[in-house]
Amino acid sequence: MRVYISADMEGTAGVCAWSQVDPSNTHEYPVYRRYMTREVHAAIDGARSAGGREFLVNDSHWDMRNLLWDELPDDVRMISGARKPLSMAQGAEQRFDAAFFTGYHARIGEADAVLSHTYSDATLYDVRVNGTPCSEALLNAAILGLYSTPVVLVTGDSATIASVTAALPWAVGVPVKDAIGYFSANTLTPAAACAAIAEGAREAMTAVPRAKPFTFAPPIELVIETAKTEQADFMELLPRVERIGGRAIRFRDDDYLTVFRAFLAAMRLGGAANLPA
Amino acid sequence: MKLYCSTDMEGVAGVSGWQQVDARTPHSEYGIYRRYYTLEVAAAIEGARRSGPVDVLVNDSHGPMRNLLFDDLPSDIRVIFGNRKPHSMVQDADASFGGAFFIGYHGAIGDQNAVLCHTYTPSVIYELRLNGIVCGEAAINAALLGANGVPLLMITGDRTTVEGVQAQMPWVHGVIVKESIGTLSANSLSPAAAQRAIADGAAQAIAGASAAKVFQIAAPIEMRITLAKTEQADYVAMIPDVERTGPREVRFVHDDMRTVFKVFVATFRLGALA
Repeated sequence: MRVYISADMEGTAGVCAWSQVDPSNTHEYPVYRRYMTREVHAAIDGARSAGGREFLVNDSHWDMRNLLWDELPDDVRMISGARKPLSMAQGAEQRFDAAFFTGYHARIGEADAVLSHTYSDATLYDVRVNGTPCSEALLNAAILGLYSTPVVLVTGDSATIASVTAALPWAVGVPVKDAIGYFSANTLTPAAACAAIAEGAREAMTAVPRAKPFTFAPPIELVIETAKTEQADFMELLPRVERIGGRAIRFRDDDYLTVFRAFLAAMRLGGAANLPA
Repeated sequence: MKLYCSTDMEGVAGVSGWQQVDARTPHSEYGIYRRYYTLEVAAAIEGARRSGPVDVLVNDSHGPMRNLLFDDLPSDIRVIFGNRKPHSMVQDADASFGGAFFIGYHGAIGDQNAVLCHTYTPSVIYELRLNGIVCGEAAINAALLGANGVPLLMITGDRTTVEGVQAQMPWVHGVIVKESIGTLSANSLSPAAAQRAIADGAAQAIAGASAAKVFQIAAPIEMRITLAKTEQADYVAMIPDVERTGPREVRFVHDDMRTVFKVFVATFRLGALA
């Protein structure tokens, strides 16, 4: 079976602060970057023990070049870099039998969830699709869903697992830590987390036959609440984007791919509004 | 009558280098040329009012768009400050205006012998075309005015800029304040002479306003943008309904010039971040 892995970092065992996952940090980040890599490795090992044969790993954290490539099995392919049109779900169009989300975190605004945010906390205050508040997991799962690929494994803190498995009940969740607020966690050790992830991945592969691709039903309505008013000012420049409040915009289309691309364009344009005027 | 003034700085008499117009990295030259700029705007208003009362709205349209020395302008005008305007250099130029002036304007990016020529953001926009016509700031701004039914009456700047606009809009009164020698030198009128010429030009432009036409780009409007860098096109192509037509080219088609204009603004904003 062919397996797609979108690998984020905040949901790695032990992570409870930005400095651990910030590539510009020179002492904490290199340690946690290795733990992140090991968790991805564990997921691959577990999948392989249950029929996984081909793996595409999409580095999906920050500038998206975190994984220590030479510490992964030499037969996997990896996508690096942050300028991807499908971002954390880049490569989905290649269609896979199953997708894993490793090191994922909860959506912005969720309580007792380590480093919870949705793509850009500097810009996005809330993201809703068809009325549902969306995490990165849900937004990305719907891209994979367009290509008939079900998400069968998610790893992260217990809040992340609870909300993802509520939306994707066929997915196996591996909670590697329990968040205590936003900046603390009661966590498994790296070795125990890797063992749990390998076991979860094995189990997830057996869940593939009953798993479903996740999709949003058209017409699809995207609502973004921005952190700042000036970000909504910029987003409103986009065609077919409606301003529905001081810090809120809406975009509608029947095609989720178009909606997701508009979401990324809006987020990046919101980032441009953060530059000095 | 109501008069709309979109005021830029590169086309002010004497300006030949970026330091003279750079508001973001304070430089002693900017303080001097900011004053000349303000005085050219004041001269245009004075000339426009020679034959009768005129309501004036000035849109500060250069850089951070807060350059005008407000207290050196007539006290009864209104001014738009700030650069986060969805219609940027032609913000709020609605149908209530009888005409518009473009003061201190400069050539389109790629123009030869045009001091500091560029089209909005030179680090992003390599070329802009509307329905196949290469457009600088003057042309795209005039097209937005046109969509609102407002005719351009006067333009001031270097010879290349003025004659370029008159080639597209022959009814526009031009005031040439300098001859450009390449992009970083100019043979210029003195500030006082430029201000006199602008005041006289403004008076004539207002007197001839009834003969002016509205510049309109026929719908469907096809905007083609060539970006300076490939990675900018990667970002811009994410905008809804924008089509990637080449490694550094995008295309957007819409019937409403106001929407086209906003997509152009989104393009240079997003491109700047890439």
